[in-house]
Amino acid sequence: MAALKLRLPASPVENSLEGRAFVFSGFCVAVLAIVLYGQDYVVPAAGVAATAIGHVVSYLGRARKRSMLGQALLASLVFAGLAYFLADSVLALFGGVLPQANFAIALVAVTSFDLKTRRNCYSSLWISLAILYLAAVYAWDYPFGILVGLWAVCLAGFWVASHLRRMGARLSAPPAALAAVVLGTLAVGLAGFVLIPQPTSLAPSPVVVSLPNFVSFKGELENPALPLVQLSGDPSGATSTIDLHYRGRLGDSPVMYVRTGAPAYWRGLVFDTYQGGVWTTSKRGFLEMQPYIPPRLLPPAPPNNLGTFVQVFRVLRPLPGVINAAYPIQSLYAPVTSLREDSYGTFFTPDLLQPGQTYSVVSYLPNLTANELKNEPAANAAQFIDPIYLDDGALSQQARSLALTAVGGHTATEFDEVMALTNYLQTNFRYSQQLGHVPAGRDPVDWFLFDVKIGYCEQFATAETLMLRSLGIPARLATGYSTGTYDPVLDQSVVREHDAHAWVEVWFPSHGWVPVDPSPGFSALAATQFPSHWAAGGIARLIPHLEIGAPLGAIGSLGLVAVIPVAVAIAVLVVFAWAWLRTRRRRGRGGTKAGPCESELLRLYERVQRKLGRRRAPPETPLEYLSGASPGPVLGVLEQVTDAVNEGAYAGRWPDPNVVRGLADRLS
Amino acid sequence: MSPTPRLVGALALAAVIEYYGASSEVPWLFLLASWIAALCAVSLIFALWNRAGLRLHLSVRGASAAPGSPAGDLPTHLMRNAPLPEPIFEGDALSMEIGLDTTGAARGPARLVGFIGSQEISAATGLVPRSGWRQGVELRGLRRGPVDARAWVLESSDFAGLFRSRRANPDAEVALVLPRVTSLAARPQARELEASVAAPRAGSGTEMFGVREYRPGDSLRRIHWRSSARHGELVVREYEPPGIQTLGIFCDPGPANSEVADQVARLAASEAWDCIRNGGRVMLWGPGLTASEPGEARSLWAALEWLARYPTRAAGGQDADPPRVTEAVAVTGGAHPEVVEALEMVRRRGGMVRAWVVGDAGRAQGAIEKFMDLDGPVEHVGTEWPL
Repeated sequence: MAALKLRLPASPVENSLEGRAFVFSGFCVAVLAIVLYGQDYVVPAAGVAATAIGHVVSYLGRARKRSMLGQALLASLVFAGLAYFLADSVLALFGGVLPQANFAIALVAVTSFDLKTRRNCYSSLWISLAILYLAAVYAWDYPFGILVGLWAVCLAGFWVASHLRRMGARLSAPPAALAAVVLGTLAVGLAGFVLIPQPTSLAPSPVVVSLPNFVSFKGELENPALPLVQLSGDPSGATSTIDLHYRGRLGDSPVMYVRTGAPAYWRGLVFDTYQGGVWTTSKRGFLEMQPYIPPRLLPPAPPNNLGTFVQVFRVLRPLPGVINAAYPIQSLYAPVTSLREDSYGTFFTPDLLQPGQTYSVVSYLPNLTANELKNEPAANAAQFIDPIYLDDGALSQQARSLALTAVGGHTATEFDEVMALTNYLQTNFRYSQQLGHVPAGRDPVDWFLFDVKIGYCEQFATAETLMLRSLGIPARLATGYSTGTYDPVLDQSVVREHDAHAWVEVWFPSHGWVPVDPSPGFSALAATQFPSHWAAGGIARLIPHLEIGAPLGAIGSLGLVAVIPVAVAIAVLVVFAWAWLRTRRRRGRGGTKAGPCESELLRLYERVQRKLGRRRAPPETPLEYLSGASPGPVLGVLEQVTDAVNEGAYAGRWPDPNVVRGLADRLS
Repeated sequence: MSPTPRLVGALALAAVIEYYGASSEVPWLFLLASWIAALCAVSLIFALWNRAGLRLHLSVRGASAAPGSPAGDLPTHLMRNAPLPEPIFEGDALSMEIGLDTTGAARGPARLVGFIGSQEISAATGLVPRSGWRQGVELRGLRRGPVDARAWVLESSDFAGLFRSRRANPDAEVALVLPRVTSLAARPQARELEASVAAPRAGSGTEMFGVREYRPGDSLRRIHWRSSARHGELVVREYEPPGIQTLGIFCDPGPANSEVADQVARLAASEAWDCIRNGGRVMLWGPGLTASEPGEARSLWAALEWLARYPTRAAGGQDADPPRVTEAVAVTGGAHPEVVEALEMVRRRGGMVRAWVVGDAGRAQGAIEKFMDLDGPVEHVGTEWPL
C-alpha cells in the first residue's frame, strides 16, 4: 500500500514572507471589524496573538514534512473549536457572543500553525472574509467601508506577492503606477458600487448571525421601553393593551438598527377591541414554534407580490420580546429557544430582547399600489372577516356622522372610502406629541375629533379604525415602529424611541391586511416599496434638493438598463485617459532633440519591418538589418528609409515631412 | 493579452460576494465585490499600458579570458583592430547584460525568458525604472561559433497577475566565439618539418632588408649578434621575401564531429596566424564552403571569423574552385577527394603542400597514406588542445 502523502505540492507563494504578511493583515482587519462592530474582545485578541505565533511557526517550518502527530493535534484543536461553537451557540456556555465569528477566529488561529501551501493561505483569507462578512452585518456606519477597503488591499497584496514570487521577482513595483492602480481601483469600484443597480436574490433566507437568548417562556417582566404599551401582562414584556388616556415619553435614543432591503413599518402588536379608550386583543391563543420558522409554516405568499427582502434587526436597548418586522413574513430566525405566534401573526420571544441581540426576517413585498387596490373586486369585505373587526365600540353618533361626511362622494370602491377618510384626517387635524390629558369621563376619540383636533398617532389611528368600522370596513390598530432614519446607500435604518408608531390595518379581501397611516406627515398608503437598489439613487434621495437627484433617480428606475449609460460613460472616460496618455508619451519622446517628423519616419520604419515580416533585433543596426533583408519590392523603400533613419539618428538631420509621406506612399 | 486562471478566480469571488450581498442585503458586500471587479478592469488597462512600453535589452558587457586564451598572447596592435568590444575565444567567459527598457515612466512587473547559446536564462522584476532595468549574465566555457540569443520572450502583466502578455522577440546573434589560436612554429615537430621541407617563407630571400626579433625555428646562422648584443635579446637578419606567400588552408567540409571541427578550426587558425604575422596572405577554402574573401586575406580577424562559423555558416555558398596559392595546407579529418585534388593542383603548380590529419589514429590512417602520396609532410593530431 502506498504511503500516505501528508505533504502537499509546494507553491512559490508559501515561501513569500510578504504573501504571508498580507494573509495575516487581512485576518487582522477582519478581527478589528469584529472588535469594533461586534463588541467582541477576548477571543479576537487571543486569536490575533495565536495567529501571529502560528504564522511564524509555519513559516519557519514550511519546508518540514507534516507529521502525523501534528496533524492529529491540529485536527483535535479544530474539533475543540467546533465543540466550543456548538456549546456557545446552542447552550451559551461562554456567553454566546458571536459564536460564529469566534469559531472562525479560532479556526484561523489553529490552521495558521500549518500554513504550508498556497491553498492553506487562501483558506485563511477566505475565513477572514467570512469574519468580515459577519462584522458587515453589524456595521451601521460609513467608516466600515475603510475596513472593507483595507481587506481588499490585503487580498490584492497577497495576489501581488504571489504573482511576483511565481515570476521569481522581488516584491517591488513602480510607485506612481502602483498608486494609480490602487486609487483607480478604489475610485472605479466606488463608482461601480454607486452607479450599478444592486441585485436582489430571488430566494433569500434569514441571516443567521445571532447573540442567543436561551430563556424559556416563564415569569413576568415589565415593559421597559415601548411607551405605547403601558401595562405588563405577558412573559415577554409585551402587553396586550393600549390606553389612550396615557402617553409615555419618547426620546431620541436609538432602540434598534435595521438592515433592510426596503424601508418599511416594523409592525409589532395588533389590537382589535376598543372599549372606553383602551385597546385590547380578543384572541389570546398562541402557537409555540422553533426559532427558525421556514416559509412552509407561515401563510402562503400574497398573490401578485413583488418579491421578498431581508431584514436584520440589532437591538440596542432592552425591548419587549416582540418581533417587530415588515409583514407579511416569509421566514424568520431569532436566536432563542422557541418562538410564539399569536392569533394576529405577531411573533414573541420568551424573554426581553437584550442589547446586542439580533434576529433576521424575510418578508414579502405585497403589491399594494393604489391602482392595485382600486381594482379590488367589489364585494362586501365584512362577509370574509371576523365581526370583531367591525365593532366600532363606543363610537359616538357624531363621529359616525363625521365618517360619512368625510367619505361623501368617494364611495365607489373600498379603497376610495379608506383614502377619503385618511386624507380627511390628515388634512383637518394636526399632529402633535404635546398633548394634554383627556378629561375624565370624555371619550378620547371624541375629545380628539371634536374638542382639541390635535393628536398623535394613536389618536389618529384609533379614530380612523373606528370610523372605518362604522362604515362597514374591517380595520384594526397596528403598533410598532415607523421606518426610522433610513440610509438608502447602506440599506439600513436607525430606529429611535420617537419612531414608535401606531397605524391602521384595513382588510381588503384580495390583499389581506393593508397598512394605512392617517397621521399627518406620513404617507397615507403605508405600503412598503422597494428602493431602487442603486446606491446613486440612494445618494440622490439623501440630497433631495440636489438637481442631479432627479436624473439619477430616473436612471435608477431603469433597472438593469441603467448599466448602459454607465458603461458608456466609463468607456468615454477610458478613451479620454488613453488619448491623454498617448499624447503625453509622444511629447515625452519628442523633447528638444526631436526633429519635425522623427516620429513619422520611425513609424514608417516600423511599418517597413512589419511588411518584411521580421523586426529588427535590439543589437542589430539599421544597416545590418538592411543587409539581412531579403530582396523584394519593399527593399528599395527600406534602403531609403534606412538612410533617412541613420541620417536622422546620427547626424540629427531628419527628413522633410514630404519626403516621409512620399516614402509612405511608395510603401503603400 | 490573455487572462490568467486567477482572473477567473477573482471574478468568481466577486460573483459569490455579490450573491451573498443580494441574499443578505448587506451593501458592504456589494462594495467589496465592486472593488474586486474594479481591480480586474484596472488591471487590464494597466497590463496593456505595461506591455506597450517595455522593450527587451540584450548587450555584451565584456569578456574575460580563460587560462590559456590567446587574447593575452596576441600583439597589442592586432588587438586594437579586434572586433568590439573585445575578441572572445573558445573557453573564455562572456559577460552579457539582459534587461528591459521603458518608454516614459517606470513600469513592471515583467519577466524575460530565453536562450543565449545553449543556456536558458530567466529573470524577472517587479520594477523597471525609467532608466531601465539590467541584470548581468555570465556565460563560462564558451564553445566556438556564434552565440545566439534565441526564443526570447518578454512576459509582462499587471501587479496581481490577472492578465498576462507574452511577446516573442526575434532571434539575434550577440557574439561570435573565435577558435583558439597559437603559433605552431613553436612546436618542435613543426620546426623539424619546416627544416626538412625548407618551404619558402617570408624573410628567406637573399637581399637583407632588416632585422627582427628571434622566433623559435629561425636558423642560428641568421642571428645578428651585434644587434642582439645591443637589444639584449636575440635578433635575426630579415631577408626580403622572394614574393608574397599565399597560403591556402583547405578545410574538411564534413568533419566527423564537433570536436574534430573545433580542432580543424584551431589548426587552421594557427596556420593562418603564423602566415599572416610573417606577412603572408591566407585563403580559406573547403569543398562546398564559401571561400574567404581575397580582400581580407591579410586579416587574422576575418580568418578567425570564417573559422568561427566553420563549417555551418561557411557552407551554403557557391561551390568555388580552390584558390590559386603558392602553398597549401590541408586540415582535415579524412582524405576528402576534392581536398586531395586541390593539394595535387597546388603541387603541380610548384607549390608546397602539407597536411594535418585530425582524429583518432584508426580513422586517420587512410587519409595519412593518401596525403603521404603527395610527397608532403603529414602530421596527425588528436582533438586535444593545446597540441
